[in-house]
Amino acid sequence: MALNPWLTVIIWAIVVIALTGPMLTLPMFWSRRKPDPFRDMPFESGQVPQGEARHRLVMQYYPYLLMFVAFDVVGMFLFAWGMSFTKIPLYASFPVLLFLFLLAAPLGYALHLALRRENW
Amino acid sequence: MNLPATPADLIPFLFAVITSHTFIQIILFPGFIHVTLVTAFLTWYERKIIARIQLRIGPLYAGGPGGILQPIADGVKLIFKEVMIPYKADKPLFLAIPLALVVMAALPFAVIPFGQNWVIANLDVGLVFVFAMISLFPLMILIFAWASNSKYPFLGGLRSLFQQVAYEIPMWISALSIVMLAGSLSLVDIVNAQARIWFIIPAFLSFIVFFISVMAELERLPFDLPTAEPELVAGWFTESSGAIFMLQFLALYMKMYLMSSLVTVLFLGGWWGPAFLPQPVWFIIKTLIVATFIIIPRAVFARIRVDMLIRIGWTRLLIVALVNVFLTVLLITSGLTAILGM
Repeated sequence: MALNPWLTVIIWAIVVIALTGPMLTLPMFWSRRKPDPFRDMPFESGQVPQGEARHRLVMQYYPYLLMFVAFDVVGMFLFAWGMSFTKIPLYASFPVLLFLFLLAAPLGYALHLALRRENW
Repeated sequence: MNLPATPADLIPFLFAVITSHTFIQIILFPGFIHVTLVTAFLTWYERKIIARIQLRIGPLYAGGPGGILQPIADGVKLIFKEVMIPYKADKPLFLAIPLALVVMAALPFAVIPFGQNWVIANLDVGLVFVFAMISLFPLMILIFAWASNSKYPFLGGLRSLFQQVAYEIPMWISALSIVMLAGSLSLVDIVNAQARIWFIIPAFLSFIVFFISVMAELERLPFDLPTAEPELVAGWFTESSGAIFMLQFLALYMKMYLMSSLVTVLFLGGWWGPAFLPQPVWFIIKTLIVATFIIIPRAVFARIRVDMLIRIGWTRLLIVALVNVFLTVLLITSGLTAILGM
């Protein structure tokens, strides 16, 4: 009698939620809860908080983010290839290896651009 | 065992689930009690090791040899403290994300094999499952930081998400050569493929890359940019207190145990060892050794900058990992793996 592995994962998730949920909900009942405007302030090193916390920031390291988007997808496809590498004939792997070699050229150029500090 | 077709089948189904061997595993050994106990042990172990390196004594007075009951004292203290929520915070998210962090750190333990039969669920895509779960972590941290609506946590959360850009691709590519050597994504198959020779020997470069990526993934020093104390107070958990902080702490150390056991599975031969000790004991010994090497740099190294981290990730780690993929292709096609009996 064996459970379906995915069903087992779901049961495991339910068990974890059932056993760690009380750690969060029970203190709500017994811990002292007395609203205090000064204690409930966001922490800003003892000062009164100023301005919005969710402010806009400068977008930095943009070339790396672009490369990440490309390589994220490439990484997943490479997993599908790597798993079946020993099972498929070698000539079927040549296009992937060629693709990896071709990838090295734009990667090198992108790193060259990204390493120039004025191009962040 | 089939899913219940009618509501009347539900009770026998639940009874069959609860009395099954798998459910006992879920509760006891590779499951919840074991994971939380080892996680609690790791919090004490880290403080003790760092104290020894810095010529201090460390936790001592909580009871047991060397104050080993310190985690229980910490837990009791945190569970009775008041849960403070900043008045501008998004309350439901602020309370839900710590629980989600624990679940996300605990879910991959279902596929980690602690022994030949000591695995909760032998998924055929186990490695991808682990990577998928731990990739969600920085996103959850950013949501928590956004929900707490405070400046320091927000900066820490953004840094956490940004750090992922630096380490994630090298981590995947270095695990790719292991997948090629084992020919499978199931973690049980990967360990079974290391019966003769551990993968740290044919894939040593990828072990180095993977270990450094794991350090960055766990936000340990020298890569703990999201929780950098001198710059960001406590990083993304500046606003958390009491039970919320306890759950986050639990999730972080659970993830440390998870990543140490993943290193053991991928590179150090998993449960394989001389037969005088049972398989899970070998696994836990190896995992604790890996965890020790993850802990020690916290007392030794200084923190690096964001641009240094991303430069290391893309110009060193990724290149080395790709080189190792080509070396693995050469290793397999030249027939050396067949000679070595892999």
